[in-house]
Amino acid sequence: MGETFYIFKDGDLKRKDNSIVITSLEGDKKNLKAEVADEIYLFGEVNLNTKLLNFISQKGIILHVFNYYGFYSGSYYPRETNISGYLLVQQVRNYDDEEKRLRIAKEILKASSYNIYRNLRYYNGRGINLEEQMKNIDSLIKKLDYGKSINELMGLEGNIRKIYYSTWNSIVKQDINFEKRVKRPPDNMINSLISFVNSLIYTTVLSEIYKTQLNPTISFLHEPGTKRFSLCLDIAEIFKPLIGERMIFSLLNKNQITEDDFDRESNFIYLKESGKRKILMEYDKRLEQTIAHKDLGRDVSYRYLIRLECYKLIKDIIGEKEYTGFKIWW
Amino acid sequence: MYIVLMYDITMDEGGARVQRNTFKICKKYLTHIQMSVFEGNLSELNLMKLKKELEQYIRDNKDSLIIFKSRDERWLTKEFLGLKDDKTSNFF
Repeated sequence: MGETFYIFKDGDLKRKDNSIVITSLEGDKKNLKAEVADEIYLFGEVNLNTKLLNFISQKGIILHVFNYYGFYSGSYYPRETNISGYLLVQQVRNYDDEEKRLRIAKEILKASSYNIYRNLRYYNGRGINLEEQMKNIDSLIKKLDYGKSINELMGLEGNIRKIYYSTWNSIVKQDINFEKRVKRPPDNMINSLISFVNSLIYTTVLSEIYKTQLNPTISFLHEPGTKRFSLCLDIAEIFKPLIGERMIFSLLNKNQITEDDFDRESNFIYLKESGKRKILMEYDKRLEQTIAHKDLGRDVSYRYLIRLECYKLIKDIIGEKEYTGFKIWW
Repeated sequence: MYIVLMYDITMDEGGARVQRNTFKICKKYLTHIQMSVFEGNLSELNLMKLKKELEQYIRDNKDSLIIFKSRDERWLTKEFLGLKDDKTSNFF
């Protein structure tokens, strides 16, 4: 498993001695071991040239770029080497087949809502009374089975999320008034945090999809729109509760992230560098965390779980084995 | 596999070339932590690649290169005397 590097400082990213080196404006250097690197996240203002892009393409390293405010701008990824025309055709066919698409979409949502349920169950067991919300979510999950169209499913998902978010005020010990999810722009600390963490999960999923033969633009749950990799959104949906939201709760409840990590002037929309750094360190740690996998019989990291999800999807698409979404089992 | 690698190159004629190349090869795979010491996590395959590359330069009768292997970083405790730094961190 390759390594991920996070660059916050401004400076130059260069190819040197067949490796990658970042030199900050003050002259500090860091070598980003080209042979073992997998991804590089750029948060600072970095100069780079095509020589470097050529080199990282050769090494199969993905570059994720975030803008000054910490919002995801895009990724540079090398020419696709894992491609399969056959799989692409099958993927499109599955998308086009109403019934099959609905089945996959349902699986994704069921897994995602189940993981949400598990998060609530965890906090319910810790002395926060969430019985009622759990019951509501449970009944909505059961309704997912009978959904007849993608829109209907999306509606149910919206309701589940709404109930879920309504519990956050009691789960999070810090005094933040979190009413509902607001995007573009987020309107308070928690919303900014969710946006930031979701964009991280999105990039991780993209990196993992890149390693498989799947085409990231053709999705099942979300509408495959233009201008975005919607399959990433699909798969990210499953892992948001497990990786993202659990992390947000723990960061806030342990007071690792407080108002001081946000830019007050911007009404808490923008994270300060200190905040971004803390979140990323925690995020990186979580991706490397391992669990014993039941079917594989070995330890698997959270990051690899995402890739396994892609493989399961492939198996379904080529008609080998029906896809079942990932559900927390521990 | 967690690896600590260190080398000792005899600085005679041609020594500089060996040292230069050894350094360049090592830093592609591992983190440079001290003058001639590197460490990092490598897969079996990457370690083989690294050794293959190094073998081209290391002279059997003059230079020595040691690789300490540990199954996991967990089984390795690191202690600092004097300056403490986190060169192995992935954050910059």
